Amino acid sequence: MENGLDLTSRLMADMSPRLLKFLQTKVNSFVKWDLIRFFYDNPHTTDTAENIARYAGRSVETIRTELAELAQDGVLGESRLGDMIVYSLANDAQTYELLEEFVKASEDRQFRVKVIYHIIRGAR
Amino acid sequence: MNRVKTGIPGLDDMLRGGFLPQTANLVEGAPGTGKTTLGMQFIYHGIVACEEPGVILTFEEFPQQYYNDAASFGWDFRQMEQKGKLRIVMTSPEVSKADLEEVGGRIEQMVQKIGARRILIDSLSHFERLNRAPHQLRSVIYGFVNALKREGLTAVLTRENTALLGEMDGDDDGLPFIADSYILLRYVEIESRIQKALLVLKMRGSDHDKDIRQFEITARGIEVRAPFEGHEGLLSGSPHRMMDSFVQAFVRR
Repeated sequence: MENGLDLTSRLMADMSPRLLKFLQTKVNSFVKWDLIRFFYDNPHTTDTAENIARYAGRSVETIRTELAELAQDGVLGESRLGDMIVYSLANDAQTYELLEEFVKASEDRQFRVKVIYHIIRGAR
Repeated sequence: MNRVKTGIPGLDDMLRGGFLPQTANLVEGAPGTGKTTLGMQFIYHGIVACEEPGVILTFEEFPQQYYNDAASFGWDFRQMEQKGKLRIVMTSPEVSKADLEEVGGRIEQMVQKIGARRILIDSLSHFERLNRAPHQLRSVIYGFVNALKREGLTAVLTRENTALLGEMDGDDDGLPFIADSYILLRYVEIESRIQKALLVLKMRGSDHDKDIRQFEITARGIEVRAPFEGHEGLLSGSPHRMMDSFVQAFVRR
């Protein structure tokens, strides 16, 4: 402990509060990080877990729960289309702006290190 | 008659001015012949020259691939998306079909929001995943194509053909019957050099050029040139000079 802050708090101290909250509440796995990136790059995609798994190069078992959680957290929209459950980016500009901020920040190595640390620490 | 111009030098003349509005236009060819380029050029021309926004529905490539490919011709698809003139949607045949069947589905809303008049479906071959039986596949695609027309869209539908040269795959799915026009892109070998040929095989409700023409993919996109002359058997992929056939048939006898 230094200045009353633990290592995590010191590491995240210079992150914008908005981004920090997003990271702490929505991004708790590497698969979610991948999916956020995927929907940022493909903002008009609406598809099933099976097809999104194919696009993302993951197995459907790996991403099904993560998609559902991102939908619960309001990052994605989940809806029924015929007999299919489909996912798409949440239909609000604020979420897209937040995703954009997160993806752009991820281009910085230091930021990526912080996200990796946050995910690994959360997985313990 | 009102025409939907492709903006492709030479092709609009072959189509007597362009596609007919609210029609489905099938473009078939082997890998690398330029099907997607033709479709992108159709979308690009609609946006920059005709004030007709467009949608690209892709079942395989990521939007980034289209941004890159378009940029190589000087077409800024990313900026067009930002300006609300274009939407590139990566999806699957089953989801897009189900979506179009719904009243007020996402594609319908998107088309209305940007005022889209043109659409590129890249490619129809992926519908084969839904149904292998030719008559069922034909029925599925028939419904899909009609939904596009219902939305007031003029569509370019690409379809892959694995035959590089010679006899084309004999898909018995009847897609050329469903389509309003049918354009074939082919490789032909002439004097040890591969060239590209374009033929308008069918155009419902309109006359069209019957020549087999050379075309090239230039830095500005596709340009259709003059008909091949002095050769026959072009669609076989290995044409021969008409003079040789004449000699074989008459002189050497």
